[in-house]
Formats: sequence, C-alpha cells, structure tokens
Amino acid sequence: MNKNRAKRRFKKGLQYFVAALLAVITFFPLVITLLNSLKSNDEILLGMFNLPKVWQFSNYPSAIATANAVGSITRSLLVAIATLVLVIVVALPGAYAIARKSFKYLKGTYILFMAGVMVPVHCTLVSINRMANVVSGKNNYIFLVLVYAAFNLSQAIFLFTSYIRGIDRGLDEAAKIDGCGDTQILVHILLPLCAPIIATEAILVFIYGYSELIFSLILINKDSLYTVSRAMLNFTSNYTTSYGPEFAFIILSMIPMLIIYLILHEKVAEGMMAGAIKG
Amino acid sequence: MRIKSRRTRKELLTSLLFVLPGVLLTIIFVIYPVINTFWLSFNKWNGVGGSAVTWVGLENYTKVLTSEKFWNSMLNALYFMIGGFVVLMPIAFGMALLVTSKMKGTKFLKASYLMPVMLGTTAVGLMWKFMLNADFGVLAQALRGLGLGDWVINWLATPTVNIWCVVLVNEWMYAGYNMLIFAAGLVAIPQDIHDAALMDGCLGLKKLFYVTVPMCKNMFMVFSVTCITGCLKAFDIVYAMTGGGPVETSATPAILLYSQGFQYKLMGRSSAISIFLLVLGLILSLFLNNVVFKQEKN
Repeated sequence: MNKNRAKRRFKKGLQYFVAALLAVITFFPLVITLLNSLKSNDEILLGMFNLPKVWQFSNYPSAIATANAVGSITRSLLVAIATLVLVIVVALPGAYAIARKSFKYLKGTYILFMAGVMVPVHCTLVSINRMANVVSGKNNYIFLVLVYAAFNLSQAIFLFTSYIRGIDRGLDEAAKIDGCGDTQILVHILLPLCAPIIATEAILVFIYGYSELIFSLILINKDSLYTVSRAMLNFTSNYTTSYGPEFAFIILSMIPMLIIYLILHEKVAEGMMAGAIKG
Repeated sequence: MRIKSRRTRKELLTSLLFVLPGVLLTIIFVIYPVINTFWLSFNKWNGVGGSAVTWVGLENYTKVLTSEKFWNSMLNALYFMIGGFVVLMPIAFGMALLVTSKMKGTKFLKASYLMPVMLGTTAVGLMWKFMLNADFGVLAQALRGLGLGDWVINWLATPTVNIWCVVLVNEWMYAGYNMLIFAAGLVAIPQDIHDAALMDGCLGLKKLFYVTVPMCKNMFMVFSVTCITGCLKAFDIVYAMTGGGPVETSATPAILLYSQGFQYKLMGRSSAISIFLLVLGLILSLFLNNVVFKQEKN
C-alpha cells in the first residue's frame, strides 16, 4: 500500500516536471531574445546567455529608425485586417447560398472551393508573379490582399457552410414569409448567429495575413512597402554589424500577436482546431 | 405557378451574385495560375515580361528529375516527415496527455504550448537562427561552458545538420498546434472506457498503449495526413533560417522552386517542380484518405 502511494506520488511529480520542462523550452527562446534585445553589440558577442550588464534600451528606437520596424508592423496589421474583412465579406454570402439553396450548380461551386484546399500556395508563384507584372500588381497592396484572400477562401467557405447548415432553417422560412429577401435574411438573421464562427475565421486569417512570407517576397520589392516578415529578414541580413536592434525588431514584431493571444487564447485554440480538422 | 417561378428565378439570380465574387477570386488566383504553371512547365522562360516563351516539351521535367539538387530537396522533405513522426508526434501527444490530465494549471500549460504558433514563422526562424549561431549563440555558449567546445560547429552551414536544425525548430513551433488535435481526441474518449479499463486493472503504460492510443486513432490519422502532405510544402521556416543554403543543401522542394524561378530566372524549371509537387501531393492525400483511412474505418 505504502509502495503504491510512493509510486503514485513519483508519477505525479514526474508529470509536473515534464509539464514544466516543456513550458520552459517553449518560453526560453523568447526570454533569450528579449534579454539580448537589451544588450550592446559587444555584450551579445560575448554570448547570448549572459544577462545584460548595461541595459541598452536604445536598441528599440534604433530598430524603429533604421529598419522602420513600426512602419512595417503597421502595414502588416493593415494588410491582415483588409484580408480578413474581404474573406468574410466574400465567403459569407457564398456559404449562405451553398448551404441554403438547392440549385444544382452550387454543388459544383462548392467542389471548386474545396479543390482550392488541395492547391499548395507555391505551385502558383510563377503564374501569379507573371500576372502581377501584367496588371501592375507588383508593390500593390490591393493585389496582395486579393491573393491572400483567395487562398483563405476555401477554409472560410468550408467553416461557414457547415456552420450555417447547423442553424435551424425555420428562422429563414419565417423571415421569408414576413417578406425578407435573401440579403435581409443573411444580414439580419444569419450574420448575428454566425458571429462565433466569423470570429474564429477572422483570427485564422489575421494570423496568416500578419506573418505571410512567400507572396510578399515575390510581390513586394520596394523596401518602403515591406511587410513585417520581409522587413525583418532584410534587416537581419543587411545590418549584420549590430545585433541588438535586430533582436529588438524580432520582439517588436511579436508584440501585436502576443497581445491578441493574451486576450483571445481560447478563441485562437478553438479556431486552430476548426482549421485543423478540415484537412 | 408563375409567381413561384419568378421567385425561383430571382433566387437563382441572388445566389449567383452571392457566390460570384468567391468563384472569381478562386478562378483568377488559384485555378488559372495552376493551369498557367502547367503550361509554363513545358516552356522555357526567363520571367521577364516581353521575353520569349519557347516550347521545350518535357525538357524541364527531365532536367528536374535528373538533378541532384532536386532529389536532395526531396530528401530534406523526407527529413521533415521523419521529424514529424519521430519528434513532433510523441511530443504533441505527450502535451495533449498533460493538458487533458487532472493536474493543476492545465489551462496555463495549454495556452503556453500553443503560443509559438502565434509568433510568426519568420520571427521564430530568426530567433533560432541567432540561438544556433556558432560564435555567440546559446547552444554554442552552453557547450563551451560544459567543456564541450569541440562540439561547436556552424550548425546551420553544415549539410544535413542544417536541415535537421530547421526540422527541430519547426517541431518547436508546431508541437502545441498538434497537441490541440490529440487533445480533442483524448477528450472525446467516453468515461465508460476509462472505467472499464480501471475495472480490468489496466493502468499506466499498458492503458496508454492498449486503450488510449487506439481510441485516438482518428487523430493519429489526421496528424499523419497533415504531416505527410505538409512536408512537401515547408518554406517559411527554411527560408528564414538558412534560405535553403549553403548551396541549397537545406532546400526543401518549395525553396528550390522559389530559387530556380526567382533567383536563377528558370521559370519553366520552377513550374515543373510545382506541378510535380502538386501531383505528388494529390496522389498522397488521395491515397492516404481513400486507401489507408478507409481500411481503418472498416
């Protein structure tokens, strides 16, 4: 009996130890990067492990001035918001039609959207680059947002369609009898009911849009227009003489997402789950 | 009767208007580019607007399929997959067991483990690139401190070692994300089954392997499909950490098609890699979903 209890206690201790160890491994790079963003170059070169002797807060203004950190972060935030608005505005009516109407062509439409899931983004790079050259889509945020939205549509249509199918049709029917058209049903009845899934999808698109890399690599080549990923890569490869501001930029770039995560972490987990099951 | 048909016609029109923007976006930016890439894969083109596009037949494919670089990138994709099954899956499943257990602080743990996905791949890649720096990085300093200075090499510049560094960073980033998948499976196991296992005296590791893991079979399937099809797509993390270098030793197929197209201006070659990846991905996912997965269902 005593042996059993000791065994159980050992097991429990081990469980806590592993859990804590994993959490430490998760946070460790963040802490190290944060510490090094506050050190002078000489101190960094002595080793990243050491604590800062002189706290070099000027790394942050320097990252903002030389790499335009705040500018690129703002641009990425705006691109992400524009993308998520476009995705929702386009996907919601589409999903409503697919979920509620029984016209035959809609089945084909749904299959078209779902086929989008199967296409890896990078299989379209060469052609999208070509297209951008023709329609002056290079260094053009409208073009960039359209591309981002197109690649997020399948997921949005999938999530919205299955969500709307789960909502009782009786509500629509009642509204129809009262003389509501499709647009009114969608805006006044389904939109409020769909708020949870819209929030879920919005978060997923936002995360995608903020940190997207590959399209911003081929479509944006003016450094005054760089998105945050692009600006960060450019800064870390060009200014290799001073590491402090580079660390500062990395920390700055993560702040918006960390704030959102702090507030919405449960919603984020829910959204990621919804997105994962689709695959 | 007439009123009804007018109404359905109106409904048809509205539904068309509702789906049209989405259909247009998908056709213009997803379907058309794939068709265009397919066509370009049989041509030679340097990517400059006015320059000639010349038909070369299957030359791009034969060049790609006989190039050492390409097979090296496929090998790197395979490392991504192996890493996924050997490192990522056990850690993610372990995390899922922890956050669904009865211990304290599971909410905090879950939120912490998931956090790296939020940071953005580029930021994560750069963070680790610095940490793995051979001169002042954390790992180098730690090894020197332990008197193992000989072990310090320029990890990200050493072939095979570099791709494994990237793979491990990728697992660091996505462990929490995959934990979510497994946790959903664990939560869905009915309490009866736990009770029955307890009655039969099935506990500990025995229970884990004979009850818990089989009950999460579907989740392992979801993981396998995403892991196998996802390994062909790895780009961001590799690009941020090594750029595929040195001399493309750490390039994945996606990195290779980017460098072929946008650095060497071999658009045809790049398109051939794209189409090869697209077809391979389709075959793999159809095979996994319809052959492997179906057998599991029966």
